[in-house]
Amino acid sequence: MTFSRPNPGWRTKVLILWLGTEVLVAMPGRGGPASDVSTNSETVAVYKKMSLEQLMDLDVTSVAKQPEPFGRAPAAIQVVTGDEIRRSGASSIPEALRLADNLEVAQQNSHDWSISARGFNSGLANKLLVMIDGRSVYTPLFSGVFWNVQDYLLEDIDRIEVISGPGGTLWGANAVNGVINITSKSARDTQGLYVEGGGGSWLQDFTGVRYGGMLATNVSYRVYGKYFNRGDEVYASGKDASDSWRMGQTGFRIDDEAGQQNNFTLQGDFYYSDVEVSTGDEGRASGGNILGRWSHTISDDSDLSLQLYYDRTHLVDPISNQFGTAEILTDDLDTYDLDFQHRFHLGERNRVVWGLGYRFTRDVDQGAPNLAFLPPMLDRNLFSAFAQDEIMLCKDVFLTLGTKVEHNDYTHFEFEPSGRLQWNATPDQMLWAAVSRAVRTPSRVDRDTREPDSAAPILTGGPGFESETLIAYELGYRAQLAKKLSTSLSVFYNDYDNVRSLSFTPGTIIPLFFANNLEGQTYGIELTADYQVLDWWRWHAGYDFLDEHIHVKPGQMDINNGRNETADPEHQFSLRSSMDLPGNIEFDTGLRWVDTLHNNDGANLGTVPSYFELDARLAWHPTKNLELAVVGQNLLHNHHPEYGFPNATREDIVRSVYGKVTFRW
Amino acid sequence: MVTGWAHKVAGPFAGRWLGILLLSLLVAGNAPGQSKEYQIKATFLFNFAQFIDWPPAAFGGADAPFCIGILGDDPFGNYLDETVRGEKIGSHPLVVQRCRHVEEATNCQVLFVSRSEAKKLKEVFAGLKNQAVLTVGEVDGFCKDGGVIRFVAEQNKIHFRISPEAVKKASLTASSKLLRLAEIVPPGGD
Repeated sequence: MTFSRPNPGWRTKVLILWLGTEVLVAMPGRGGPASDVSTNSETVAVYKKMSLEQLMDLDVTSVAKQPEPFGRAPAAIQVVTGDEIRRSGASSIPEALRLADNLEVAQQNSHDWSISARGFNSGLANKLLVMIDGRSVYTPLFSGVFWNVQDYLLEDIDRIEVISGPGGTLWGANAVNGVINITSKSARDTQGLYVEGGGGSWLQDFTGVRYGGMLATNVSYRVYGKYFNRGDEVYASGKDASDSWRMGQTGFRIDDEAGQQNNFTLQGDFYYSDVEVSTGDEGRASGGNILGRWSHTISDDSDLSLQLYYDRTHLVDPISNQFGTAEILTDDLDTYDLDFQHRFHLGERNRVVWGLGYRFTRDVDQGAPNLAFLPPMLDRNLFSAFAQDEIMLCKDVFLTLGTKVEHNDYTHFEFEPSGRLQWNATPDQMLWAAVSRAVRTPSRVDRDTREPDSAAPILTGGPGFESETLIAYELGYRAQLAKKLSTSLSVFYNDYDNVRSLSFTPGTIIPLFFANNLEGQTYGIELTADYQVLDWWRWHAGYDFLDEHIHVKPGQMDINNGRNETADPEHQFSLRSSMDLPGNIEFDTGLRWVDTLHNNDGANLGTVPSYFELDARLAWHPTKNLELAVVGQNLLHNHHPEYGFPNATREDIVRSVYGKVTFRW
Repeated sequence: MVTGWAHKVAGPFAGRWLGILLLSLLVAGNAPGQSKEYQIKATFLFNFAQFIDWPPAAFGGADAPFCIGILGDDPFGNYLDETVRGEKIGSHPLVVQRCRHVEEATNCQVLFVSRSEAKKLKEVFAGLKNQAVLTVGEVDGFCKDGGVIRFVAEQNKIHFRISPEAVKKASLTASSKLLRLAEIVPPGGD
C-alpha cells in the first residue's frame, strides 16, 4: 500500500513557547531562584561553546528565554541548526533529517521516505511524532508522516530537534520511538528580502522568495513562496521510474512582541503538490493550515501559552488494481487542535509543567474499489492532560516525574508516565537515566482498511486492534571532553508488546486482518562526537547500533513471521566535515554508511545491500549578500536502493548535482 | 536593547545611572534582557582574543598574563570574570582588569571602553597611541575616533564593526574569519 500525502494529526506540544525554543531541553537541571550563580556559569559555558556566527544570532531581548544548555536535557536529543541545513546542501526536510544521526532516513523514490528512530522503519513507519511549529503533521490515517508534503523555506527554519526515545509524557500517543520538532524562525529574524533559485540533474529547478518587514514597532511579518520540480528516480535496471514530483508552497508568519508579557504569533501555509506514479497516473495533494499562539509571561519562573490551529489536507492517490490500472483514493482530513500549557515553580525545589489539550479530526475518505477506509466519514475526539514535576533532589541531581493521560475514541484511556533522573556530575558532564511508557494508538489503516468491491477481500482492518505499547529503559551521557571536543552517548533497552501483525481468518484464510500478535525487545547505542579541529574546520561523527528481537507471541501467528515492522540497519554511521576556506569559500562533505536492510515480502526476506554515500557542497560568497553554491548528492553511485523488497518495482536513488544562487538583502 | 535605547533617550548620563539601576535589578534577579546582552558581549571579548594576533612585544614574557581591561563603569558584573576563568591565550593566562584611567590600561591586550567614557574617547585613544591594544567599544563615533571594534545592535542581535586601519595602527593582525563576519569600517568611517 502506498499513500503519498500529508495530514496533520495528533499530539501537539508547544513547550517550545515557554521553555525557550528547546522543548525538553528546559525541563532539566536548573535550580530555583537560589541557584542564580550556577545558572550564570552554565550560561557562560553555553556561550563559550558557540561560534561567532551563533553568538551573532542570539537575541538579547528574549525575556525568560535564557539559552538552555541543550547539553543538559536528560534525553537523547540532537539539534540540527538552520546553518547546518544550509551548509549540508539539503533541499528538503527529509534530506535535512539525514543530519540527525539518531534517525534512520531511507528514500523510497523521488517523493517518499521511510524515517524512524530506534528501528521499526517499515513502509508505513508509525512510531515517530513530528511537529512543525507546534502543529502535528502526522496522519491518523496510518500514524505516520506523508513526508512529501512537509515543506518549508529551509532558509527560515531555525532548528530541528530530534529526540530519539519515547516522549509520550509530554507529547502523547505516538511519540513512541522519537519526536521531531521543526521550528521556524521568528518573523523578527527574517527581515528583508531573500531570493534563491537554481537547478540541476534531478532537482531540476527550484526557486524561493521571502520578504520580511515590520507592521508596527515590534510587530514583524514575513511572506514566502517556493516551488520545485524534481525528476525521476530509476529502477535497478537503470530504467526510468517516471515518478517526478512538483510542489509549490506559500505562507506567512506574524509575530507581535510588543508587550513585555504577552506575545502573539499568527502563521499559515498553503501547498499544492503533484507526483507522477508508475501507472502513468498522477497523485495530487493540497492543504493548508493556520495557527495562532498566545504566550503570557507571569514572571521569570512562570508562564502559560494557548495555541489553536486548523489544518486541512486533501489527498488524491491512484491505487493500482489487479489489472495494473489505477483507481483513485481520496482522503480529506480536517483537524482542529487546542492546546494549553502552564509552567511554574513550586517552592524552591519543584518546577511544574501541566497542560490540557483537545483535538477534533474529521476524515472523509472516498475509497478506491480495492482500497477504502470505512466508515467513509469518521469524526474523532482526543482529550489529553499532562503534568510533570522536576524535583531538585540536591544541588546537581534532578528527578522528573510525570504522566500524560489521554482519551481517544479507539482505545479510550491511555497513560504515558515517565521518570527521569539527571546528574550534573561536573559542569561539563551530565548523566541521565529514564524509564518511560509510550503507546501507539490505532490508526485507520489498522482498524478501518477495507476492499469494498471485492467478493473475497484479501486484507481488512482488525476491529479488535489495540494500542501497541512500549516500556523503554534509557541511559545517557553527555560531555564537553575538551574545549573543542564534545560527545554524547545513549543506550536503550525497549520492551514492546502488542505490535502489529497480520493474521489469517480461521477456515477461509482470507481476509487477512491486522492484530497485535507481536512482542519483543530491541536494544541499541547512539553515539555522536563534534570536534572543532581548527577555527575553520569542524568534524562531526555519528554511529548507531540497533539489535531487534521482535517475534510472534507464543501460540499466535503472523503471516509475515514478525518481519514486517523492522527493516532496519543494524549499524549506521556518518562523518561530516565543514570547512571555512580563504576567499569566503565554504566546503562541506557528508559521508554516510548504512548497513544491510532486510525487507520482507510476506515471510520472505530480501535485502537492500549496505551502502556508502557522499554529499558535498562548495559555496562562495563573493559579497555579503550573494552566495553561489554547487551541491552533489549521492555522489558515489549512479543509483542505489535505500529501501524495499528487491522486486521489479523497487526504485533506486540517483546521483544528483545542482547549482544554487542565493541573494539576501 | 535597553542600554542603547536608554542612552539615546537620556544621553550620556544614562550609562552610569543604568549601571546602578542594573545592579539593583540584578540583585532583584530581574533583568534577563540586560544581563544577557553583556553575557554575550563578554563572550565576544573572549573570542576576539582568539581571532586576533598580538606582536610578541605586547607581552611582558611568555607566561605573562593576557589582560582584558574594562575602562570606566563595568557593565559586565562577574560575567567577564566567569568567562575567562581558567582560560589561556597561548601560554598567557587570561585576567580581567578594571581601570578608571587609560594610563592604568596600557598593559592590557584588550580594552573594553565603557559607555561612561563616551565623552573622553579622544583622550583614551591618545593615551593608547602606538600600543598593541585591541580597543572595543559600543558608542557612536568609537571607530571614527580610532577604536578597533565597535559593537552594534542589529534587530536585537549583537554584531560588530572592525576598522582595518585601526587594527594596523595597533600592530595587530585580525583573522580572515573575524573580518568576514564583521562589518568593515572604511577609513574615516564609523
